Amino acid sequence: MSTLSGMLTRISDTLWRKPNLLILLLILPPALWLGIIYLGSLFALLAQSFFSIDEFSGVIKYELTLKTYGELFRPSNFDIIVRTVVMAIAVTIGAAIIGFPVAYFAARYARGKWKALFYLGVMMPLWSSYLVKVYSWKLILAKEGILNWMFETLRLGWLLDAYLSIPIIGGNSLSVSATGTFLVFLYVWLPFMILPIQASLERVPHTMLEASGDLGARPYQTFRHVLLPLALPGVIAGSIFTFSLTLGDYIIPQIVGSSRRFIGQAVYAYQGTAGNIPLAAAFAVVPIILMALYLWIAKRQGAFDAL
Amino acid sequence: MKNVLKSSVAILMGLSFAGQAMAQTMVTEIGEGEGQVNIVAWPGYLERGETSEAFDWITSFEEATSCVVNVKTANTSDEMVALMNEGGFDLVTASGDASLRMVAGKRVQPINIDLIPSWSTVDDRLKNAPWHYVDDTHYGVPYMWGPNVLMYSTEVFPEAPTSWDVVFKAMDLPDGKPNQGRVQAYDGPIHIADAANYLMFHNPELGITSPYELNEDQYAAALDLLREQRKIVSRYWHDAFIQIDDFKNEGMAASGTWPFQVGLLQGDGTPVASTIPQEGATGWSDSTMMHAEADNPNCSYMWMEHTLSSNLQSDLSVWFGANPAVLAACTDGRGMQTAEGCTANGLDDFDRIKFWTTPVSTCESQETCVPYYRWVSDYIGVIGGR
Amino acid sequence: MTSAIRLSGVSRHYGAVKAVDNIDLDIAEGEFFAMLGPSGSGKTTTLRLIAGFERPTVGEIQIYGEVAQGIPPYKRPVNTVFQDYALFPHLNVRDNVAYGLMVAGVAKYARHKSADDALEMVALGAYGNRSPSELSGGQRQRVALARALVNKPKALLLDEPLGALDLKLREQMQEELKALQRSLGITFVFVTHDQGEALSMADRVAVFNEGRIVQIGTPEDIYYRPESPFVADFVGSSNVLPPRFVAPLIGRQVYGSLRPEAVYLADQGHPAQVTSVSFLGTATRVSITVGDVAMTMLLPKGAAIPKAGDTVQVNWDDADLHLMAAP
Repeated sequence: MSTLSGMLTRISDTLWRKPNLLILLLILPPALWLGIIYLGSLFALLAQSFFSIDEFSGVIKYELTLKTYGELFRPSNFDIIVRTVVMAIAVTIGAAIIGFPVAYFAARYARGKWKALFYLGVMMPLWSSYLVKVYSWKLILAKEGILNWMFETLRLGWLLDAYLSIPIIGGNSLSVSATGTFLVFLYVWLPFMILPIQASLERVPHTMLEASGDLGARPYQTFRHVLLPLALPGVIAGSIFTFSLTLGDYIIPQIVGSSRRFIGQAVYAYQGTAGNIPLAAAFAVVPIILMALYLWIAKRQGAFDAL
Repeated sequence: MKNVLKSSVAILMGLSFAGQAMAQTMVTEIGEGEGQVNIVAWPGYLERGETSEAFDWITSFEEATSCVVNVKTANTSDEMVALMNEGGFDLVTASGDASLRMVAGKRVQPINIDLIPSWSTVDDRLKNAPWHYVDDTHYGVPYMWGPNVLMYSTEVFPEAPTSWDVVFKAMDLPDGKPNQGRVQAYDGPIHIADAANYLMFHNPELGITSPYELNEDQYAAALDLLREQRKIVSRYWHDAFIQIDDFKNEGMAASGTWPFQVGLLQGDGTPVASTIPQEGATGWSDSTMMHAEADNPNCSYMWMEHTLSSNLQSDLSVWFGANPAVLAACTDGRGMQTAEGCTANGLDDFDRIKFWTTPVSTCESQETCVPYYRWVSDYIGVIGGR
Repeated sequence: MTSAIRLSGVSRHYGAVKAVDNIDLDIAEGEFFAMLGPSGSGKTTTLRLIAGFERPTVGEIQIYGEVAQGIPPYKRPVNTVFQDYALFPHLNVRDNVAYGLMVAGVAKYARHKSADDALEMVALGAYGNRSPSELSGGQRQRVALARALVNKPKALLLDEPLGALDLKLREQMQEELKALQRSLGITFVFVTHDQGEALSMADRVAVFNEGRIVQIGTPEDIYYRPESPFVADFVGSSNVLPPRFVAPLIGRQVYGSLRPEAVYLADQGHPAQVTSVSFLGTATRVSITVGDVAMTMLLPKGAAIPKAGDTVQVNWDDADLHLMAAP
């Protein structure tokens, strides 16, 4: 008993004398977890992308090669990347444009009960099942759905038809058009844009805006030169969410849209049905590279200076 | 004892002929039930009267064997393969495009048909079907089969279309409007086989003998046809219920589909009907297969026997609009199915149906065929407009 | 004397709270005008009404003869130095100062030149490339000043600009501000809760209490001739004498005020009890009670200092007893 307590005392004495040892002991388990489980699986994926698939047998050849990455630049595959990136950019910009005023209202004007209502309104879509939301949007956007009906009732059917006849973004109905996919993405990821912007706007002192106006800036100039730069970390944080979530999603374009594939679907199809793990891995690397590129550009543009 | 001897011989034969099967031991006798059996199945395949009271083929099994049936539904063949790779399941109702992958991946074990008394009642056309019978070894018990039919809106077509060209070629439909934007196609690479099947009938000079075994030229012709189809297809259907919704809400006129959707839509009063046009059709044929490391082999064998001998075959064929693996189920009154019902479901069209199977590069009918992984990437390209 | 800023019957109510209640104010051009009062007295709200950040509930505001209620802040010819300086953290010092010129469309070279000149004026010429976060409190204060002045406003509004500085810096800045105002000749409106600051810098002072102006006048007026016990107490730390104390002396029921330095020890006068004594360096403050009224007196250096508990005689000149008609 006494030796045990003596030992414990010795241990705590040692830890007290060497605080770095204590920090090391505390940080080791999460670091191992992150290192082995997370980075390990990531590198396993990366490694797969440097293998290739044998053209004849469909068997994976375990020799290092860049051939699989070359396949990404085949027109049909490159289309998928371009399509996904354009969609992710459009969704991000759309979400920022819609999300900013909502977040601004919540940060500046909403108080007490209204603030609670705001959080409820923004978060509620996150509580219900993702699939339920997407399916409901399919019904809303369908040819015989409510949106179409509204256009017809307002005698604006011709407007919708004209819009849908535009190639690429149009289609037979909204629910089978790229626009439909865009709208559903926009709806589903919007909370991820609003909340970070709102948090960053809360941190902008009110006097900054007054000072800007006082110095002669019109509201638009205040927005452009003060509010937006100061809220930019929030917009960037939100855009990281919306951009990466859109890059990776494979459910929405499957239910609403023109059936043209997105990166997530390509990964799913190649690793699942085709057994072409190397190409699936190479596709999975694309969003990682795009995000790294995006963050690098954002940093160069000074998006994180106000942090 | 006689069974043991027979299976030993079978094992020896497996060793000498198949080689790779030696790691997998076949069950040689059925012992006491383990109390449960875990099955991966297509939606609607395993019913215990909860969806509709009249359709129940589990309760009687559980009462008779005290093996509780646990069902995990899977929506695609890929999901099935993934679940079986994860493990923890005893049985799976695998289609032809999944079964060979699982056999090759050694995820399923050989079936000892001597332990299944009703094996003899199985439709002779299915007993040694290539999607479960590999290297003279049985890996599955036939479960159910059906055609991929052509569904059409009866408002658009006063009479059943006679050819698949309504979904492959741009044309005006009988209602005077073009078919563009009003037809659908299956969102799986296996749909290339439907195009090949169409070409097999209309372009005999290509020399296609099986839509799943295509050389480069035949394959290129099929893709060309699909590229033409892309221009008229509004959406490639992936999920049965999304397609049902599209026929209700999107004004669809025609599409390849499963009898399942036709039945549900007709049940809802939607004006649709289905047909197997002159070119014939592709189809699916599912088999119950057993996991290589099944924890409950005894209950599994009892279940496989039950699938053949009970009301299952008859009632399921009514429920799903499919055809039983046991011919007698159409006529002997064990369930609700009748001879007319089986005919309506396409029982007599067996020869006109090319069942799903995974395309591989070493094929029987040709020197080399285009393998499935290329079907996947090329079909993605076709849908993307390439 | 031209009127720079005129408020007529201006009120600002938030629901039942009257932040500013019926104020009349006339600030002359070139004047250094202080608004003094405890926190919550309405002085900052009045400043914000002039700047345009708040709109009056009723009343009229004129800036250089122009009715200002309908004019947004960015069109008013006034600039503000904020209590927290409100420097833009994402811009360097030069761009902060040049901000007003930038939004007015002045070309980059010209506005940077003006900004550097303005920084030179506040002795920060070498700091243009720094980030505001790299500056000390006093330096930020000067940047805020330069940023406002570079726009050549007709009036400069300062909201407690020295509040965040330490004593020594504050005294230094007081002088600099005063000198700056004199050399620029523009109107300064200065909000403070520090009466010393207000009295030492301003040409005129408005004392605020509970949303109203209780007295406007020169520092001397405010200090020597408070019109109410509140002003006497808040501004001069004068001894406020209740009517029952004053009445026997002069025969009228009014309040009186008596500055501490006007009270002296005498051979004959009012008997007083010494409660505490504190040494202030140049003088000594003695707290006493005369009858039941507490007072303080300031004894000059060299005077005899009583001890706590002593009973002494105190007196004052009648001329130093200031009477206040208002309650």
